[in-house]
Amino acid sequence: MANAASGMAVDDDCKIRFLQLKAKRTYRFIVFKIEEKLKQVVVEKLGEPNLTYEDFAASLPANECRYCIYDFDFVTEENCQKSKIFFIAWSPDTAKIRSKMLYASSKDRFKRELDGIQVELQATDPTEMGLDVIRGRAN
Amino acid sequence: MYGGDEVSAIVIDVGSYSCKAGYAGDDTPKAVFSSVVGSIEQMGETDEAKADKEADTASDSKNGAKPMDVDKAKTKRKLYVGQELEFRRDHMEVISPMKDGTVTDWDIVDNIWNHAFRQRLLINPEEHPMLIAEPSTNTGQQREKAAELMFEKYKVPALFLAKNAVLTSFASGRATSLVVDSGGGSTVVAAVHDGYVLQKSVATSPIGGEFLTDCMMKSLESKGVVIRPRYSFKKKESPGEYKVVDLDLPNTTESYKLYCMRAIASDIKESVCRVPDTAFDEVAYANVPTTSYELPDGQTIEVGADRFKIPDILFNPSLSQTIPGVDGFADSMSVRGLPRMVIDSVNRCDVDIRKELLSSILLSGGSSSILQLKERLEKEVLEESSGNTRVKVLASGNSVERRFSVWIGGSILASLGSFQQMWFSKAEYEEHGVAYIQRKCP
Repeated sequence: MANAASGMAVDDDCKIRFLQLKAKRTYRFIVFKIEEKLKQVVVEKLGEPNLTYEDFAASLPANECRYCIYDFDFVTEENCQKSKIFFIAWSPDTAKIRSKMLYASSKDRFKRELDGIQVELQATDPTEMGLDVIRGRAN
Repeated sequence: MYGGDEVSAIVIDVGSYSCKAGYAGDDTPKAVFSSVVGSIEQMGETDEAKADKEADTASDSKNGAKPMDVDKAKTKRKLYVGQELEFRRDHMEVISPMKDGTVTDWDIVDNIWNHAFRQRLLINPEEHPMLIAEPSTNTGQQREKAAELMFEKYKVPALFLAKNAVLTSFASGRATSLVVDSGGGSTVVAAVHDGYVLQKSVATSPIGGEFLTDCMMKSLESKGVVIRPRYSFKKKESPGEYKVVDLDLPNTTESYKLYCMRAIASDIKESVCRVPDTAFDEVAYANVPTTSYELPDGQTIEVGADRFKIPDILFNPSLSQTIPGVDGFADSMSVRGLPRMVIDSVNRCDVDIRKELLSSILLSGGSSSILQLKERLEKEVLEESSGNTRVKVLASGNSVERRFSVWIGGSILASLGSFQQMWFSKAEYEEHGVAYIQRKCP
């Protein structure tokens, strides 16, 4: 238990969808949101495998926080096809302070539920999670 | 488990300069008052046993000495908290419960809490869960002491202790960050990772807003400016003009006089100071345009190079030694400038997270409101860090949010529906004892 954790629960659907992304690669990305009234994290959007990074970036709201999982395909210097699963905490500067607090204090618990995250990012503006940043962290 | 979300929790943050208290869910604390208190030793109460007994039975808890404070000499004293301090009283000393950012006098803290609950918020602490923000440097012993006081004396139904740095970090939307909290009495740099304070990264320095205020005051004094405390004169209106008449109050204590002068110097500092873009240089700044400031007694002073020199002390502490009358640091080795503290703190963390910390340095605390602090810090950290690291210093654009970031973080956390199961409840306290706080609020 993290110091000052919010105690937010995680909907089982989040775990199921994540496992599908990880094992069967049925999704390119998953966007999660916190339903404060339900006191849990739920799946908001699912991205088909043929969607691009741009589609993923466009699916994030500009003024609200979200958690997301993004499956990044890349080619290594040895010309080897690889992929890495990114966890991104999206917390734009323009979001309400309450929403920032909510997502930051629930993150640790939520992340623990998703087993198999390879890289983690936190972003407060689009440049912090740009394709170049993702590429840099994948290697 | 404590499931009572129908009464709102109380969030309280006692800093070295001011105490912030209010209802969880509010945007800003309802009550903000000075953390220093006035104290008058009561005469004629030399019989210790008698004083003890009286303090125990007295319903007015202002009388201080409690049975728990065995380590302290039980002199009877009357404490004046909050606005009561604004009136000058004969023989009243001004004392602080904190030293270097940690509590040294629990009796005063107790009085401050009591004042916040009963005089300011007008609540009965027995009915409200309490979230207390604590310094990142707090020891296990101090946390237990706070918990014991809350449960035994105030009989709170539930309690939570959250670290300042974590609350600030969360309030900015980050679970991992480097928090630079420049408060009144000290500056604390602490790395937060996934919601935990990395204890080995915590760096403190005695240079905070009050030290800068003192430097400002000493520097003005050395230039012949006399700051007259507001209580020491009266303004008389004669046709068209005010006449200032000095009052003779021989029984005013030195510490009260200093307190009042500091309040003025602090306002001067807040009104005119800004951080210079590059390190301060006496020669280069000799001819900067001055800014005028009107003191309470009507005299107008001109502040020149000091506008830049005083804030630069945050970056270069040795600069303070050039001001006549400023005491040297007891341990000058441990006093470092802000950029140095940041770099040292980052370097004490795991190499994997250093990049992430440098790209999210959060500024908070009252002193973070000094103009240009953010830009200068970013520049200097960038220069000192190696290679092409991305350095980003973040501070809320809103000065209220900056100053109260700890309290606001606590306010939101304690008001979350899902948080209600996280409290350390009275039942758990009674079952597991006070040491359980370390497990509930690590």
